[in-house]
Amino acid sequence: MPLLRRLVLLTFAALALAFPATGARADAAEISAIVDRFATASKFPQVEAVIEALGAAGDPLAVPALRALEAGELQVAPDGRVVIERGDALLDPVTLEAAAPVEGRLKKVRTKNSIRRMIGDVISGLTLRAPEPAIRMTAAETIFASADAAQLDALEAALAEETDAGVKSRMEEARAAILLTASDDPAVQMAAIDIIADRGDQQALAVLATYANQASNADVQAAAREGVAEIESTLAMWQAGQNIWYGVSLGSVLFLAAIGLAITFGVMGVINMAHGEMVMLGAYTTFVVQETIRNSFPGAFEFSLLIALPLAFLVSGLVGLVMERGIIRHLYGRPLETLLATWGVSLILQQAVRTIFGPNNREVGNPDWMSGAFMIGEMSVTWSRLWIVVFALCVFGALLFAMNRTPLGLQMRAVTQNRRMASAMGIRTPWVDALTFALGSGIAGIAGVALSQIDNVSPNLGRTYIIDSFMVVVFGGVGNLWGTLVGGLTLGVVNKFLEPYAGAVLGKILILVFIILFIQRRPRGLFALKGRAVE
Amino acid sequence: MTDTQSQSQSQSQPVPAAAKAPINPALAPTPSARKDTLLYLDGVSRSFDGFKAINELSFVLAMGEMRAIIGPNGAGKTTMMDIITGKTRPDKGDVFFMGDIDLTKHDEPTIAQMGIGRKFQKPTVFETQTVADNLLLSLKGERRGIPALFYRDNRKDRRTIDGILDKIRLGHRRDELAAYLSHGQKQWLEIGMLLAQDPKLLLVDEPVAGMTDAETEETARLLREIAVDHSVVVVEHDMGFVRDLGVKVTCLHEGHVLSEGSLDHVSSDPQVVEVYLGR
Amino acid sequence: MLFTRFLAGGLKSPVIIGALVVILAIGVIVPVLNLAVAPGSAFHIPDHMVPLFGKYLCYAMAALALDLVWGYCGILSLGHGAFFALGGYAMGMHLMREIGDRGVYGNAVLPDFMVFLNWKELPWFWHGFDSFVFACIMVAAAPGILAFVFGWFAFRSRVTGVYLSIITQAMTYALLLAFFRNDMGFGGNNGLTDFKDVLGFDLQSGRVRSTLFFLTAFFLALNLLIAAAIVGSKYGKILRAVRDAEPRTRFLGYRPDKIKLFAWTVSAIMAGVAGALYVPQVGIINPGEFAPANSIEMVVWTAVGGRGTLVGPIGGAILVNAAKSWFTGVLPEYWLFALGALFIFTTLYLPDGVAGLIRKMVGKARSKPRGKDEETEAPAADAPAGAAE
Repeated sequence: MPLLRRLVLLTFAALALAFPATGARADAAEISAIVDRFATASKFPQVEAVIEALGAAGDPLAVPALRALEAGELQVAPDGRVVIERGDALLDPVTLEAAAPVEGRLKKVRTKNSIRRMIGDVISGLTLRAPEPAIRMTAAETIFASADAAQLDALEAALAEETDAGVKSRMEEARAAILLTASDDPAVQMAAIDIIADRGDQQALAVLATYANQASNADVQAAAREGVAEIESTLAMWQAGQNIWYGVSLGSVLFLAAIGLAITFGVMGVINMAHGEMVMLGAYTTFVVQETIRNSFPGAFEFSLLIALPLAFLVSGLVGLVMERGIIRHLYGRPLETLLATWGVSLILQQAVRTIFGPNNREVGNPDWMSGAFMIGEMSVTWSRLWIVVFALCVFGALLFAMNRTPLGLQMRAVTQNRRMASAMGIRTPWVDALTFALGSGIAGIAGVALSQIDNVSPNLGRTYIIDSFMVVVFGGVGNLWGTLVGGLTLGVVNKFLEPYAGAVLGKILILVFIILFIQRRPRGLFALKGRAVE
Repeated sequence: MTDTQSQSQSQSQPVPAAAKAPINPALAPTPSARKDTLLYLDGVSRSFDGFKAINELSFVLAMGEMRAIIGPNGAGKTTMMDIITGKTRPDKGDVFFMGDIDLTKHDEPTIAQMGIGRKFQKPTVFETQTVADNLLLSLKGERRGIPALFYRDNRKDRRTIDGILDKIRLGHRRDELAAYLSHGQKQWLEIGMLLAQDPKLLLVDEPVAGMTDAETEETARLLREIAVDHSVVVVEHDMGFVRDLGVKVTCLHEGHVLSEGSLDHVSSDPQVVEVYLGR
Repeated sequence: MLFTRFLAGGLKSPVIIGALVVILAIGVIVPVLNLAVAPGSAFHIPDHMVPLFGKYLCYAMAALALDLVWGYCGILSLGHGAFFALGGYAMGMHLMREIGDRGVYGNAVLPDFMVFLNWKELPWFWHGFDSFVFACIMVAAAPGILAFVFGWFAFRSRVTGVYLSIITQAMTYALLLAFFRNDMGFGGNNGLTDFKDVLGFDLQSGRVRSTLFFLTAFFLALNLLIAAAIVGSKYGKILRAVRDAEPRTRFLGYRPDKIKLFAWTVSAIMAGVAGALYVPQVGIINPGEFAPANSIEMVVWTAVGGRGTLVGPIGGAILVNAAKSWFTGVLPEYWLFALGALFIFTTLYLPDGVAGLIRKMVGKARSKPRGKDEETEAPAADAPAGAAE
């Protein structure tokens, strides 16, 4: 939303500068004269009258002054001039050039909520014929929401001139919204309802639903109700789409957190309880990289994540390697003890990070390309989530390639399927184990880089993901990358679909219960290795 | 026959009549004949991921009979044992015990309690417990947990255990942990555990693998002794040992019966020769 | 009669008898030193130490319960904290009822937190907890039923090894989330606290504290005796057979799922009793007790003491928690380092715990171990489940 507002403000500024050249329906002097009447408008009704006059003049040149008024920046000098006080600068309210210095105290032109609403409507009326389609679009949207009958004439005039099809349909919708309440001809109202219902979004629903409760004509009311129902079903579709997107996005996070675990568990039968801490190390690596960049190379901030990725892989991978060589190697064939020892490692890593970086959340920034959001229809998509989904798919693709096309992958698969045979074939299983563990941990590290963008970076980061990761691995089955992908996405989507009905916590509980029951039916998960070798 | 029919009807997919019939109709035992068998397998198939471990296997064991099964690796011997003991369900086919007990409908513990004992290829004894306790755990009788809480040592059980210990030549190691036994002794202990179960049918998988000649001879003697009052199926590679047993032999290959008869008959069967010596 | 004979079976080993005597003696000596010895004396145990020791004994009971399934049945439960907490909640609910109208809001029917949440009437599952006897039944029934249902499903589908550990962890995690919710009716985040009385006696009084301590010691001894009797019976032999070679027992005609289910349920009830004794001494029960980390800590007590020895885990729990008290007093920053190192050290170098170490030393001194005695028998590590192949 802030981004949108910034965009609008920016275009307004550009507009104000560009306008004198394009010719106007009223010239600058005329507008200035009206704006100067604010100096004498000491009561609210007088202020309203001036605003109306500006609207009637129909010139977008008045927009900056109105904006300033809305923001409380419009001031009256003791000498009767009206100026905009923005920061330390004084500006002419129409030309926006620097104004002459003022002796004495400035007096603010006072407004109230209803006036500010009125300003918004007037501005949209004024910008209906702005040269930029985006501005006209916004204007039409504002009118649609306010359904202010006073804007009807301006709207129809603009509509007659409008060439852009998208803007035109928005304007027609706005007109329909006005006519719905302003007209008393049922035929016109019916037509308006059709147009609004076709629009089918949240605002259309609000307009129709309000009207459906106050309509005088029974037929029209029925049509409005139908329209409401129609929009609701459209919105439900979009809502489902939104849920799927949230689910996919959560699923890809789960996948990223779990895939390293799946690899180590699949190949070595080792449950790494410190896996979450590997993720955490990756996130802290990102933090350190960003700190360094902020302090030394501020320009490179946009690339901080790209720099952090390989470093996080190395840091977590190295810790994993040390862990494997130092501890896990001695515990092969004792999976339960391995579980306990790695839990010990996780406690130590957590406390170490807490000692070094402090117990509180650390700030990891989003580069510009990771921030903001955009809409697809009624679905809102944040860039950070989108990139994480893309990133998860890239990691998946890379791992698929590594497992199926590289010698290490071949050896890892061989060890997964039959350790003793692989060993007999001359594969150095200890070496494969060490590398596998390093790889699994390294991937946890890069998952940490991704998670640092959407979650708090704190020493407890790993704890929050470890159980979910287990669930994904257990659900998806061991020794199969596809299992983890499908497991992660399924759990993500199911989770997000349960949330609206059951609430976030209860949804999660239901999922845990579901997995506990699921593992009873398929103890080896969704994509288990089959055949006699497993039994 | 009603049994078989109802069973084939209960299978969801219709099986073509030809597939349902035994390979060789002449060999197919009549329903009345099944009544007198201890073990009756007919048209049994089981595949793992497309690999047919057992393929249209038909096999009949009479009451009180001892049978040796030979066959190269992968012939389906272990899978056949798995199917009989309920560890693996066949994809199709009939498996009957004592004429009319459908084994495909029961799980391992039930089948074991009905009187089918199994000795594994790799000796599996309870290593952290004493030799005598291994036998005590195998002793025929109560199998539920809570009554076992109140079980008391008694003279009858002790006598049975001592008797078996004598038979398997482990009397002197009664109170030692099973883990300390030699490989051959573990094999015998496992046979002893089978005896303690007092089953109607013993399935013995490669009892002499890894044994010295003396031990092998001893084992053959032991099995013959057992066969006096039990039905036994022995799977073994060691031809000398099979000859020692002197019983009817079934040769399996690729999941079905290749040849059946006396050892001499089987070993002169050109098909068997081909399988063992290669083409 | 039958039960007495069963319990007598637990008295076969001198180690167990010794441990029982020591525990009961502690149960008497600590209160005496607290109440009868003058505060100035060197032998006086200050008031705040009594519940602290009581807490250790509760933890010891939980570790013993865990050992019964982990040491003798091969089930590494990462969810025993859930049973402990459920027992605790059952007792806590009764203690809440005993507050009556002495709460902050002075509501005679509703506990404070319900008044705070604007609830109008007592939820159905709180009925009955007015009665101490009912609460005591629930102390055993709540964890027992949960364990029974959970185990029935899990063991029947042959979920074993790390998979089982992980789903026990998921179980306690799910309960953690559930109990955090206000609308569950268990006090949400804050749990149950501000207890006043138990059976009409003031919880703050020295005599009640001492009685509670003695009861804890008594129940610890009783649980040890029951566990020893179970382990020493033929059922115990079956249990270990299942632990070492589960598929093999199936071919002997045993049903490992049922065998495990009994020990699992008994163990859960023991943990529940421990939790129930813990709550009045500590004065609070909150959802934090369900945290997976708590359950794993129980595992390390058992591991340090020596699993599969019954007596070991009791010592382990007391040892580790005494160390924790010391660390959090002196070097709070380093406790997690120490605990983490303990996990690693124990699994790498002390797989049989302190008890295993002592046994090894004693064994060496005697040169030849007697194989028969329960307490001197070396249980193998969790044998791979596929051993029978």
